[in-house]
Amino acid sequence: MEKASNVPRRPIWTGSLTIGLVNVPVKLYPMIYDRGISFRFLHKTDGQPLKYQKVCTKDEKVVPWQEVARGYEIAKNEYVIFDREELEAVKPESDKRIRLDKFVDYFSVDPIYFDRSYALMPDKSSDAYSLLLTAFEKKGKAGVGRITLRTKEYPALVHAYKGSLVLTTLKYAYDVVDPQGFEELKKLKEPEKAQLDIALKIVTDLSGEFDITAYKDSYKQKVEELIKKKLKGETVVVEKPAEEEVKGLMVALRDTLKQLEKK
Amino acid sequence: MKEKLTRVEFTNLDKVLFPKLKITKAQVIEYYIKIAPRMLGFLAERPLVLTRFPDGIDQEGFYEKDAPQGTPSWVKTVKIYSETAKRDVNYVLCNDLDTLIWLSNLATIETHMPFSKADSREKPDMAFFDVDPEPPATYKEAATVALLLKEKLDNLGLESYVKTSGKKGFHVIIPIVPEHSFRETRTFVHKIGQQLAKEQQLVVSEFTETKKPGKVFVDYLQNSHGRTMVSPYSLRAVPEATVSTPLEWTEVKKGIKPTEFNIFSVVKREKDPWKKILENKQRLKV
Repeated sequence: MEKASNVPRRPIWTGSLTIGLVNVPVKLYPMIYDRGISFRFLHKTDGQPLKYQKVCTKDEKVVPWQEVARGYEIAKNEYVIFDREELEAVKPESDKRIRLDKFVDYFSVDPIYFDRSYALMPDKSSDAYSLLLTAFEKKGKAGVGRITLRTKEYPALVHAYKGSLVLTTLKYAYDVVDPQGFEELKKLKEPEKAQLDIALKIVTDLSGEFDITAYKDSYKQKVEELIKKKLKGETVVVEKPAEEEVKGLMVALRDTLKQLEKK
Repeated sequence: MKEKLTRVEFTNLDKVLFPKLKITKAQVIEYYIKIAPRMLGFLAERPLVLTRFPDGIDQEGFYEKDAPQGTPSWVKTVKIYSETAKRDVNYVLCNDLDTLIWLSNLATIETHMPFSKADSREKPDMAFFDVDPEPPATYKEAATVALLLKEKLDNLGLESYVKTSGKKGFHVIIPIVPEHSFRETRTFVHKIGQQLAKEQQLVVSEFTETKKPGKVFVDYLQNSHGRTMVSPYSLRAVPEATVSTPLEWTEVKKGIKPTEFNIFSVVKREKDPWKKILENKQRLKV
């Protein structure tokens, strides 16, 4: 598990940022990790790790990798079959370029399209990198373009973040659902003025600065405590998690017990 | 280990017991937990008759006198010989919070209690008037009769207490020193009813007249061994989830609607009109 302060050592991609005829050599580092708790599946009886295998649904036999083909389902249980080579041929080539087509206001890009962010670091010379970063910072602009990572081409945004250039891959328009398609929204009524005033007051009263560090992963914290206990050799008592309803009843129960005590 | 607040293991909490209002078993249990401080005193040491609706009140429920199978050892019960069943019936006594919670987890919507305690079963500690309107008479006529009854009892120097039945009627109680037989309390209540019927067109006092339309029957017959009334603060198995609610007489005077008193509103009441009832044991002249 990497600490948040540790930066990754190896770039996952090297190439250049291309704006017209200008090339800025860059390296790409991962910036986003899922640091939630994860577990390995083990065999309960002997503690050995388990692995996945591809099994034929007809005869239940394990299928070796050479015998795996890809099927595109066109109707139920009907597939168009591809060999790996056929698909390789049409995959986009990684041409080691991030092509920026135009510049937009960074805040004009809806965050709903943000996919994953990577740190862009200067490769070899840092002059051009520094120039681009400063220009982005001064203008509040971001470059929109494309990048091919592994075998997939993404729309991408290059922007300034905490004194660095960052590349954020974007979702395609077809990946995002337009909420106006939901029936529920068609029945929305205009709120009454009095109620709206109250709602606005609540929003104003609760307004503040966004602070992501205020949110903690309580499941992760609890599991980490359990891990510590287990390592110390303490047995962990499994408590059935209380359902929401039970929690409500416990609140009422505490209150009633207090009242009965007074009597 | 977490502190354990109750010995009851909750089951099927999301089961809907009142379909019209979508009230779940969790809500029923929560009601009984919240009302317990006011309710438990009335139930103590009385063999209870339970009305259970495990599949909700729209499905058939059942009366239960015997403590059900799987009754935990910490639930107090009392064996009483039943003449009709020709055997011992093992009644539940609800003397503590856990028993009340356990009963509600069994989808017990109503509890009904006798007018005497288990240790002095032949000596009632309440005289009970069931003020029951016959349509087209409604709760309004029943309230009028309940107030007339109170006035009559006041004149005899007897302090009476009133609750809604949770349906259309009112229940009026005089807490008494357990020194009389049921025959004596029954005769006393019947006599009062007869006097009222003589004075008021609206009132009937005899069982044979109960079906007279538009009249209000002052029922004395429940004052008998083995008979019961719905317990104070018990829910009723009706779609509106009403509660048999102890009231101040001033509330009856103001004119109230029994359906106002339900699973949601009763716990919010600050009033505890029957608070003193258990200490205010009076003597009847019979």
